[in-house]
Amino acid sequence: MARQVAMFTDVSLCIGCRACQVACKQWNQLEPEEPEWTGSYQNHAHFTENTYRLVRFVEEPATDKAEMRWHMMSDVCKHCTQAGCLEACPTGAIYRTDYGTVNINQDLCNGCRYCISACPFGVVTFNHATGTATKCTFCNDRLHNGLGPACAKACPTQSITFGYRDELEVKAKQRVEELKKAGVSDAQLYGADQDGALGGLNAFFLLLGSPSKYGLPENPRLPQRNVFLDSLYSIGAAVAVGLGAVFAFRTRGRDRRVPASAEASAELRRSASLEGERL
Amino acid sequence: MEPGLLKSADWPILIDIYFFLGGIAGGAFVVATIAGFLDGQRYRDVVRTGYWVALFAILPCPVLLIIDLGLPSRFLSMLMVSKPSTAIGMSAVTAGPLHFKPYSPMSAGAWGLMVFSTCAFVCAAETWLTDRKGRAFPRVRAIAGVVGAVAGFFLAAYPGVLLGATARPLFISAHWLGALFLAVGAATGSAAIAIVLGWRHGSAAQAALARVMTVASVALIIQSVALALFIVSVRSAGSAGVDAALSQLLTGSQSVPFWLGAVLFGTVLPLLLQLRVIGDRVEQSVRLKADTTSMTIVRAALVLAGGFLIKFVLLEAGQAPLNGLG
Repeated sequence: MARQVAMFTDVSLCIGCRACQVACKQWNQLEPEEPEWTGSYQNHAHFTENTYRLVRFVEEPATDKAEMRWHMMSDVCKHCTQAGCLEACPTGAIYRTDYGTVNINQDLCNGCRYCISACPFGVVTFNHATGTATKCTFCNDRLHNGLGPACAKACPTQSITFGYRDELEVKAKQRVEELKKAGVSDAQLYGADQDGALGGLNAFFLLLGSPSKYGLPENPRLPQRNVFLDSLYSIGAAVAVGLGAVFAFRTRGRDRRVPASAEASAELRRSASLEGERL
Repeated sequence: MEPGLLKSADWPILIDIYFFLGGIAGGAFVVATIAGFLDGQRYRDVVRTGYWVALFAILPCPVLLIIDLGLPSRFLSMLMVSKPSTAIGMSAVTAGPLHFKPYSPMSAGAWGLMVFSTCAFVCAAETWLTDRKGRAFPRVRAIAGVVGAVAGFFLAAYPGVLLGATARPLFISAHWLGALFLAVGAATGSAAIAIVLGWRHGSAAQAALARVMTVASVALIIQSVALALFIVSVRSAGSAGVDAALSQLLTGSQSVPFWLGAVLFGTVLPLLLQLRVIGDRVEQSVRLKADTTSMTIVRAALVLAGGFLIKFVLLEAGQAPLNGLG
């Protein structure tokens, strides 16, 4: 495996220009869409089959409620180290690339949509035009030709940066220290820690405030972690049902209680009726 | 805001029907195999009916699943692709074009469905050969019966495990959906056998009917326990999204079909009727009063309707958008 790459999105530098969103659409040749009124400058409300990069405009009332504070955050597929979509995919269309990113092979996906329900971030989207699941590819074509993703290339403030994961993680930690020294006490990293949730995100973030403010789950979990215990309980239920059926169809205990003649006569009547049927 | 950003596969009613039929097929097959092993002669109607119910219930399933795909022509990708990648997940196994992912319940389900439908076909064909041509293959039936029973339990349970392995708040926060689906499958499978038995053989099948309905009642009790444990553990998980989804089920848009349909008519009423049967049996003289064939068929129909509804409301509540709820 090649060296792990990553994207680092620093919310403190984002000016909400949406150059990343446009660059993403251009490079990946995503179809134009009807704008959507979300009550803010944000467009669209969420990732769509034609929007893989999305600048979220989060409005927060200032402490004295006199004015609103704006938080811009350029959201993208997290390319999780433990990816719910990848584990869910029954066709093997979703795979991990040599660079550690997560990609959907459009030639294999059959549109079962399990990955859409399995993504802890609501990233994967069903594309009605192709009948397949789609999401950010980390610009897989650019990546394999020595280029970074289009969004990072286009970002004018270096809010989005691309690089090797280990190097980027060090830079991100330095940036948090910098911000804290400058008095931004709520600066924090999201997904940078490889011992953290989902084994770390390969598109990680610097947030100003709690993840939930930006619509990110505080503790994302890999859904497939449930499979083992769920199966174990199911086996327990299977044993219980099986014993119940053995109890219901047992012959020795029942013979003592129900007079054998009753059942035998039923048997006779039934075989008689069966004979009649066959004639 | 957080849970509102989750997306949903939005599986339509086709998938509810598949969960329902798959459960019936698995449950009926298991009942048939167990009855056959305990006394194949005495229960031969139960065995025959069970295997045929399993076959007919499983026949439409692949069609339902394939129609639901975004690209139905690629249904075979579930089992094989021309050259599977090796980096497709935890413990993934590939052999030539074939691939299997033990942590993807849908991959396991596709294989399980293959194994099960093969066994269902073999067992139904064997009973047909025995009945019509007088040629029995007891060893073939025994092997297919055991393998198919394991696959049948799996087929009934795995949709619940699959839902539990999604990020939907209602499903991810508890571990009981697989057990619940398995019990529903056993109850509805037994009920389906009972209806066919009662309809074809009438009162002649009274004794067998009573036994099949005992299985249904045991399964209903296990189902109720699993459902209670599911609700309790979801409630104790207690995040915003979980509460919103659970209230959909318990007090919101799904509450009427859930409480009235699945719980009252689908579970409580059939169990009360079963109690009456047991009570009557104790007083041998009035034994057949509540235990008439038509009464049993009504009871079995209630179990079937309840089994469909419980899976339906769970899927609806779990997939409903979470914005602006709770």
